[in-house]
Amino acid sequence: MYAYDTYDHAMVNARVAEFRDQVDRRMKGELTEEEFRPLRLMNGLYLQLHAYMLRVAIPYGTLSAGQMRKLAHVARKYDKGYGHFTTRQNIQYNWPKLSETPDILQELSDVEMHAIQTSGNCIRNVTTDQFAGAAADEVADPRPYAELIRQWSTFHPEFSFLPRKFKIAITGAAEDRAAVKWHDIGLVLKQNEAGEVGFEVLAGGGMGRTPVIAKSMREFLPISDMLSYLEAMLRVYNEQGRRDNKYKARIKILVDAMGIDEYRRQVDAEWEKIRHVPIDVPEEEVARIKAFFAPPPLPVLADAATEVDELENANFVFKAWLANNTGAHKVPGHAHVTISLKPHGGIPGDATDEQMDLVADLADAYSQSEIRVSHEQNLILPHVAKSDLPALWSKLDEAGLGTPNAGLLTDIIACPGLDYCSLANTRSIPIAQTITERFDDIKRLMDIGPLKIKISGCINSCGHHHAGHIGILGVDRRGEENYQLLLGGSGAEDASKAAILGPGFNEAGIVDAVEKVVAVYLGEREDDETFLSAYRRLGPDVFKEAVYGTD
Amino acid sequence: MVLINLTGIQPTGFTLLADDVQPKEGENVAVSVERLLAEDSAFFDTAGGVGAVITTGTPYADLDAIAGKLAFAVIEFPAFGDGRGFSLAVRLRKDFGFKGEIRATGPVIPDQALFLLRAGFDTVDVTSERKTAFEAALSRFPGFYQSDFGGQTSIAHARHTVGHTIGHSGEGHRKAS
Ligand code: SF4
Repeated sequence: MYAYDTYDHAMVNARVAEFRDQVDRRMKGELTEEEFRPLRLMNGLYLQLHAYMLRVAIPYGTLSAGQMRKLAHVARKYDKGYGHFTTRQNIQYNWPKLSETPDILQELSDVEMHAIQTSGNCIRNVTTDQFAGAAADEVADPRPYAELIRQWSTFHPEFSFLPRKFKIAITGAAEDRAAVKWHDIGLVLKQNEAGEVGFEVLAGGGMGRTPVIAKSMREFLPISDMLSYLEAMLRVYNEQGRRDNKYKARIKILVDAMGIDEYRRQVDAEWEKIRHVPIDVPEEEVARIKAFFAPPPLPVLADAATEVDELENANFVFKAWLANNTGAHKVPGHAHVTISLKPHGGIPGDATDEQMDLVADLADAYSQSEIRVSHEQNLILPHVAKSDLPALWSKLDEAGLGTPNAGLLTDIIACPGLDYCSLANTRSIPIAQTITERFDDIKRLMDIGPLKIKISGCINSCGHHHAGHIGILGVDRRGEENYQLLLGGSGAEDASKAAILGPGFNEAGIVDAVEKVVAVYLGEREDDETFLSAYRRLGPDVFKEAVYGTD
Repeated sequence: MVLINLTGIQPTGFTLLADDVQPKEGENVAVSVERLLAEDSAFFDTAGGVGAVITTGTPYADLDAIAGKLAFAVIEFPAFGDGRGFSLAVRLRKDFGFKGEIRATGPVIPDQALFLLRAGFDTVDVTSERKTAFEAALSRFPGFYQSDFGGQTSIAHARHTVGHTIGHSGEGHRKAS
């Protein structure tokens, strides 16, 4: 993992001191709320329906056990004993007191964390594959580049007041677990024919009112050109992105309006001018950062472990967990483990302070003290020896963290919705709770197979409903909460936009509709066909018929 | 209003010309880009130092014809969040090698002081109540991750350059040159 040096520490501490002064001026009445608003937003502090909300960055979703303990401590001391992991690999605290937020940020700074650029019209936390550095199918670990971008984008003199927020995602594997095509800029690490590693660069993806899948800018960008190319992309956007209407201000609208070819031409022209200015960091700096992400010293172990086989045969829940929540590691005899934060009937992405502490302890015991947060709102132990899996699972299971549903229908992404969010039309969390209760049967879930349900409480799409195999969008229908049903989206390498199936439903109706959609799939599927492939083959009509009936 | 001096430059004294007023012989004047483009020689031949008043909506291509002749520039922010102002200053320094004073006007906030400096601004026109906060903000951060067009190198470069120091007390900006 990356470790701060004195420069990084000085920067974050200076930021905390600055924020303490701003809060102080606000409390004394020297700043009005209107003046304070942009300042607090630059530090991730929102004013929500009931209270302030603090969004803390977890850069590219990587955490140490010590950092997780600090997050637990903050939840206990300054909040109501829990935190919410978000689709952007951040954590949100829903009940901090304004006067205490500088103390929270200082405590976080002590463990090399911050809330910088977790909101505002700037380059946000760079997200990546939750299995980075562990997955067997990876070309290269994307995190050193994510850290480089984090540093380059932090307090950027030119790009801190963009037309709108700006999200970059990087993946190092062919299977896209970071939804890069749904980002303002997506980077995919690739090897070219000469065996060199570089990026495919995508631009102009995004959700919200106008969902757009990113288009390819360049097939191959050498790593050494990454920052100057990003700078050229951002400069053209900063100058020409719309500022008259916040719904048309994202880069996707600019790219659509001028066309990807013209955008590429302008970026290339700008890039030619700046390639030789020292924007890109010296090679030694790339090497320095890369060294922090050297693979942990894992011993090569036998791939079969008797402990695992025995428990697998004896315990169906463990068997299911093994099948769904663990995956192939680079190093034989190891696995990466997904800790589901989606207990049936629970709140997607929430974890209590005790659970966070436990995950930290388990990371120390079994995973090189490393933890990841996924954009699907789960936690990951990236480096676990297979022989430790039975012991790990039983400890997780005891603490309510053993739900064996990763990647299945009940592994739902849901935004905070009307329970917290001031922009919401509808609640999201209770819909997720009802669906997971309705499908509370692991055998049935495994029979259904991979199925991603994503729920947003309004068109801002924080719950990624456009990318859901089944998407649910909350709308306001004459003052009533109403839920639209969308089918066929994907956030993976085969990215697609989900399409609205028909008229919306009330709270009970949407859950019934999901069940009918699943029933159609089970009836129509061929062989091993997943829900998404079946939908793509069948088209919407048979689903429409089942959900709305025929006249 | 008071003028915050970010770089230690000798600030330009000038007259902001109303649209229907012609410059006096040898006078330092600031004029809109549109007017400079339309009545080019009227200004550059008669006035002393000519400055452009650049709105954030100005396409940078408009600067091509005039940047080389400007003595100074005033970039007007309609709102503090209009980041095009930062890119315009960067363009002036980077694409045109502009060495004259770049001044920011409009409702920029004290917390932007170092962003302005690093984007290439020399001075900022602010309301007098904001002076103290602006000055405090200037000394807040010991260094940044970006090299900038004012001559500061990034932390990334400083990490690997023996004897290199970073800081925003003005060295590396104009005072050093
Ligand atoms: S999608 Fe809408 S309701 Fe949900 S968190 Fe985002 S803004 Fe709030």
